[in-house]
Amino acid sequence: MTLQAPGFWPPTGPEIVFLLLGVVALGSALLVVTTRQLVHAALWLVVCFGALAGGYLVLTAEFVAWVQVLIYVGAVVVLLLFGIMLTRAPIGRSADLDSGNRWAAALVALATAAVLVTVVVSGFRTAYAPLDPGQGAAKPLGSSIFRTWVLPFEALSVLLLAALVGAIVLSRTDIQGRK
Amino acid sequence: MELYVPILVLAVLAAGFAVFSVGIAPFTGPKRWNRAKLDAYECGIEPTPQPVGGGRFPLKYMITAMLFIVFDIEIIFLYPWAVAFDKLGVFGLVEMVLFIVTVLVAYAYVWRRRGLDWD
Amino acid sequence: MNGTIQAPTIEYALLAPMLVVFGAAIVGVLVEAFAPRYLRSAIHVPLTLLSLAGAFALTIWQAAAKGIPTKAAAMGAVAVDGPALFIWGTILVLAFVSVLLIKGEDHFVAAASAVPGSAEEEQALHEGAAHSEIYPLVLFAVGGMLLFPAANDLLVAFVALEVMSLPLYLLCGLARRRRLLSQEAAVKYFLLGAFSSAFFLYGTALLYGYAGSIDLAKISTAVGSVGGQDTLLYIGAAMLGVGLLFKIGAAPFQAWKPDVYQGAPTPITALMASGTLVAAFGALVRVFWVGLGGLDWDWRPVLYGVAILTMVVGAVLAITQTDIKRMLAYSSIAHGGFLLVGVIATGKAAAQNASALSGILFYLVAYGFTTVGAFAVVTMVRDAGGEAWHLSRWAGLGKRSPLLAGIFAFFLLAFAGIPLTSGFFGKYAVFQAAVSGGALPLVIVGVVASAVAAFFYVRVIVLMFFSDPAADGPSIVLPSRGTAAVVGLAVLATVVLGVYPQPVLDLAHSAAQSLFVR
Repeated sequence: MTLQAPGFWPPTGPEIVFLLLGVVALGSALLVVTTRQLVHAALWLVVCFGALAGGYLVLTAEFVAWVQVLIYVGAVVVLLLFGIMLTRAPIGRSADLDSGNRWAAALVALATAAVLVTVVVSGFRTAYAPLDPGQGAAKPLGSSIFRTWVLPFEALSVLLLAALVGAIVLSRTDIQGRK
Repeated sequence: MELYVPILVLAVLAAGFAVFSVGIAPFTGPKRWNRAKLDAYECGIEPTPQPVGGGRFPLKYMITAMLFIVFDIEIIFLYPWAVAFDKLGVFGLVEMVLFIVTVLVAYAYVWRRRGLDWD
Repeated sequence: MNGTIQAPTIEYALLAPMLVVFGAAIVGVLVEAFAPRYLRSAIHVPLTLLSLAGAFALTIWQAAAKGIPTKAAAMGAVAVDGPALFIWGTILVLAFVSVLLIKGEDHFVAAASAVPGSAEEEQALHEGAAHSEIYPLVLFAVGGMLLFPAANDLLVAFVALEVMSLPLYLLCGLARRRRLLSQEAAVKYFLLGAFSSAFFLYGTALLYGYAGSIDLAKISTAVGSVGGQDTLLYIGAAMLGVGLLFKIGAAPFQAWKPDVYQGAPTPITALMASGTLVAAFGALVRVFWVGLGGLDWDWRPVLYGVAILTMVVGAVLAITQTDIKRMLAYSSIAHGGFLLVGVIATGKAAAQNASALSGILFYLVAYGFTTVGAFAVVTMVRDAGGEAWHLSRWAGLGKRSPLLAGIFAFFLLAFAGIPLTSGFFGKYAVFQAAVSGGALPLVIVGVVASAVAAFFYVRVIVLMFFSDPAADGPSIVLPSRGTAAVVGLAVLATVVLGVYPQPVLDLAHSAAQSLFVR
């Protein structure tokens, strides 16, 4: 941390892009919780995740960015949409998406945001970490996964296995089973 | 970062083309009303009738999505392994094989439980 | 950067108990996939029991023959130290006992996907369908329980937490009777558990921001050296604490426990009340003592309050319960509070910490066995529609089945901490450590809470022995060999630990002597 932190003004290109992406992420997140159409909420989530992925990219965490796109935008949102369609959720506007608790919920959300923003701002006020292109690429991550993080990595495979077994247990409808 | 500039340019070009094509169509194309044009588009076949309110999807879609996520995650881990493969040596190979075998067990289980059958 | 990176050192021998459990779970899934249906249970039960017994033998062998390692294993990811080995042994025995209970009777739903009360369910029952996946799922959960208290960095801890919890969320929803309640329990447990996992993860992220590492030892070093970012540290530690306290069901994060314990199939409740609690306490103590050890002036007052609240809430709310499993759940909350008293009893001297730790370890063993035994008894008192859950149904049980009622009364006395039961020495060990650690007021609250708790335990005993049995009272099923063995073992453990606790106390003491490796 001997590097002198450059000033905030004038902002560099990546800084501007990062700020814009942040605005997009925040705005789409707000839309997720305020839209009156359930399916739209899931789709706004795509925008939010996409903006986050862009943010990762600007911070040179390339691999994480693509993971975000592939897993969250690609798979999790699809699962969410199927989840919505499994239930009797109406397509289109629904009037009962608001509950009486919305003001309390908004208050809690605001308080949480305030606490977290305060924490991050006061924690990293003067911290300066120069971006080091290439650190977040797949290759260094591969080396560290297979060296430092081998054990959690293998434990993850077990978690995936357990999750799939669980999904089948809960959903298998063929009572006959396979002989 | 410079690596992404061409990608960004390409993305802008693609988006521009798409917006341009859709945006220009109402001004250049003929406008003739037709009932079929207002129907839902289902790859050229007659649209499947839907119950009022959208109906519910069968659970098998959910299972498919779950399967997709699990194997998506597996592929994600394969990628950094493959890129760093030359440096990881035999140990990396063994660990990856272990990982794949474990997830393959899940695959075998789902297959035997007819999780892969559609009907 | 050229050439191959050095392969990490993985001490497979040290991790062997865990690897055996996970390996057996994977083999179990293969059995599910390829074995014919009528053979599955016949393969699963011995496979599960043998793997747990084998893992226990490996743990003993490691501790006895090869000595306690002084360094974290697997690139610092897992700390197989004295406390971890002791906890592993405890979890493995308790899991073994719970599996005996699982195989005992038909506790599980025939087809989880069938709508409760539907024709489909009827058909599944008629055909004798069963989910034999329960055994591999239990093994997955047990594997996670082994990894969780041994995790030496927060990422491993998080993965272990998920491996432990995910199968349990599922198993909770598979009760054969009162299925809607069971499904409700599973959904509640899942939602709240996911929420608490998020807290854990966020805390991990903030601590990483503070210390630049998620390794417990490095966080501990950073606590002493990094300045100016205290908010990150405090909020991070608080969030991590919320995630951990949720898992042990400490107040104010206890709300899930009664619902989940009530709805889950009783053998799974037994596994959660014993194994999960042991694992979560192991992890809690490790994170707070090793990772945040330098911060103890800050977290001690908070945990002080949490412990008091937990003891009071558990003891007081238990009085109002009319469901036997809910009552036991509140009792479990109260016991979590008593255990927290031990977590606070740290001091400057290593001997003080060791005595607090050995108290916690002994308490976990004592409570684990008693609670498994109590839930085993619950499975045996049946109504037409399943277990007789309402307390009024237990009235007069002592006249119908003196032996069973006597055993249950004995377990309740052990919960209350009456001398000559294991509960007494557990409480004694923890409270003594707390007194010498200077937490006398807390101990006084603990004793008062114990007295309040004793009131409702005794109330149940009075109900069982001194009120008239209902005319159409519940029937006592003849226990299967598994259930009988569980009850017998639990009685034995409760008696032996209550009358002659010295060997286990010594064992806990020697396990705690070296404290945690860093």
